[in-house]
Amino acid sequence: MAAAPGRAAGLGALLILFAAAIAGPDIIGTDPARQALLRTLETPSFEHPLGTDHLGRDMAARLLAGAEISLSLAALCVATAALPGVLLGILAGWAGGWVDRLLGVFTAAVLALPGLLLVLMLAAIAPGSWWALYVGISLTLWVEYFRFARARTQVLVAAPAVEASRLLGFGRFYLLRRHVWPDLAPGVATITAFGAATAVTALAALGFVGVGLRPPTAEWGVMMTELLPYWREAPWLILQPVLCLTATVIALHLAAGKIGR
Amino acid sequence: MTARLVVENLQVDGPDGPLVEPLSFHIAAGGVLCVLGETGAGKSLLAQAILGALPAGLAASGAVHLDGQRIDRLPPRSRARLWGRSLALLPQEPWRALDPTMQARPQVAEVYRLVGVCGPGESRARADQAFAALGLTGAERKVPAALSGGMAQRVAFAAATAGGAMVVMADEPTKGLDAALRDRVTALLRRVAETGGALLVVTHDVGVARALGGQTLVLRHGRIVEAGPSNTVLAAPRSNYARALIAADPGLWPAAVAPAAGNAVLTAEDLGVARGGHVLFQGLGFSVSAGERLAVTGPSGAGKSSLVDVLSGTLAPTAGRVVRAPAVGRFGVQKLYQDPPAAFPARTTLGRTFRDLAALHRIGWAAITALLKRLGIGVALLDRRPNEVSGGELQRLALARVLAVRPAVILADEPTSRLDPVTQHQVMDILGDVARHADMAVVLVTHSEQIADRWAHRRLRIG
Repeated sequence: MAAAPGRAAGLGALLILFAAAIAGPDIIGTDPARQALLRTLETPSFEHPLGTDHLGRDMAARLLAGAEISLSLAALCVATAALPGVLLGILAGWAGGWVDRLLGVFTAAVLALPGLLLVLMLAAIAPGSWWALYVGISLTLWVEYFRFARARTQVLVAAPAVEASRLLGFGRFYLLRRHVWPDLAPGVATITAFGAATAVTALAALGFVGVGLRPPTAEWGVMMTELLPYWREAPWLILQPVLCLTATVIALHLAAGKIGR
Repeated sequence: MTARLVVENLQVDGPDGPLVEPLSFHIAAGGVLCVLGETGAGKSLLAQAILGALPAGLAASGAVHLDGQRIDRLPPRSRARLWGRSLALLPQEPWRALDPTMQARPQVAEVYRLVGVCGPGESRARADQAFAALGLTGAERKVPAALSGGMAQRVAFAAATAGGAMVVMADEPTKGLDAALRDRVTALLRRVAETGGALLVVTHDVGVARALGGQTLVLRHGRIVEAGPSNTVLAAPRSNYARALIAADPGLWPAAVAPAAGNAVLTAEDLGVARGGHVLFQGLGFSVSAGERLAVTGPSGAGKSSLVDVLSGTLAPTAGRVVRAPAVGRFGVQKLYQDPPAAFPARTTLGRTFRDLAALHRIGWAAITALLKRLGIGVALLDRRPNEVSGGELQRLALARVLAVRPAVILADEPTSRLDPVTQHQVMDILGDVARHADMAVVLVTHSEQIADRWAHRRLRIG
């Protein structure tokens, strides 16, 4: 890991992002929804370090609130995608036979729908609700975990190492703990980082086209839509959510690194 | 006689210092040079340095003359133009060097066409000639997967020499081959010298050097430890290392003395195994008794490994049954594997694996360390992961792991085929030793007739 400066940089940036999302709003202490209609589209000042938007709301507070939403939703999505994905993948790879076939057909059915379409469908059922986005994004992400865990487990279970441990009397739990999980972990971490980047991008994309979270929520995609009409008067404003999103995605991709070495 | 290949002070440097120290030799037309040594001795690097195809990060210095022309200073492109035309390399495990999607004859004909510079029609005729000369008639339209190991070897030989190169280098040409195939390959290689070419063979197999004759050069840690005519070096080695290397040749091992007949521990009754609808063997009946070493031999694909799986209980036989003596406990049948790193959980330290084992079977840690010490393994190795220790050490660790549960039978599936001869000798010695002391039966699957003859008490041939 020492020989991966990109990965270290990515993890460092993520740490800063998370710290800002968690502690930032309290430190700034400004309500991201408080309007000041006489002080709109201001340039950065001591009072508003990143300026104010078209309704006079503090940009710094809104960006931090957006970070909190994006990162927590992404974390939630990958967590609920990883758990069933990895567990079912191990189950399918381990058991084989009809269990594997059944799960295989199920995942193929999920894969047949383009991910964003699935999210759009759910968003159409419950427009503007975060749970529709959460369920939709999770549903598109878990397949990757499933396929990876299944393929690796198949190889591992057939390998001499597992046979040797079985002959020595080790049980299923041991095989999972010492053989399967240590082998899966780095790959799962990589998929998680990429998956989180996908979730953050999807959330912003849906917010931007108006089918994700709704105004006045301080979400990066929503902010981009809101600030787009003012790009000529106040270009520094629209740039802010765009840069935040880009930085987050780059940090996640850097953190994903390569599987293994 | 003219020297076809002259190497002067050739040295290969890696990022952490020299990998091959300056060495010089020459091979005359009709001459043979065998470079003997274990894995990591720098043998393959030597061949790659002569070819001018060292892996990135390594650099060669010194002079290489080919038929009187100095080639080491040529730009890479002109040097690559010599490949196949003047200088050919038969790579390790040549079946991997063949295109798996292409039929055998086009692969060879293509070389005549692209390197030998002749038209498509003539190239086919020449490939046919080569196939006939090498006894490959009938294999022309087969893809490599459909060829036997020996045929693939000959196809690769035909492809490697099609460009008309008179200096041929072969890297471990007999690796993974059984005895009969090995003899055919050495005969094939000898023809290079007999037709006026120069042959450089890199091998760890003393038998190959003996069969090829010529000159021998023993390499260790990138340094020449001994050089001279093959029959002198092999018959009367002067250095300790060469002596150990030659003594490790299974043909020279002392024959094992069968113990007095003990009680049968494992009995196969009318055993049959089919895989994928194809019957591997049937009606097989035998038993092994305590302290006995049984060698199982047979051609590849005969079902040797399947037999081991059935004996260990991991594969259900299609017919018959395997009976364990009542004294043989639940963990009484253990197994050693061909590829030691694949037999351990890859991302777990060895110490962790052994502590887990000790906890599961309630073995005291002192007993484990005593066992490791007996097999010559330092406790410091336990902090490492399987891929961080050598194959020989790992195979001894695997042996220690199975010995810890006091098995009555050890099934060893080609346990040394991936090891160097010296290490192989050592591991087989230790295995024989512990089996004798603990009165364990050993079923050894091997493709080496010599090991089967020398090491085992009894033999079983299948297929």
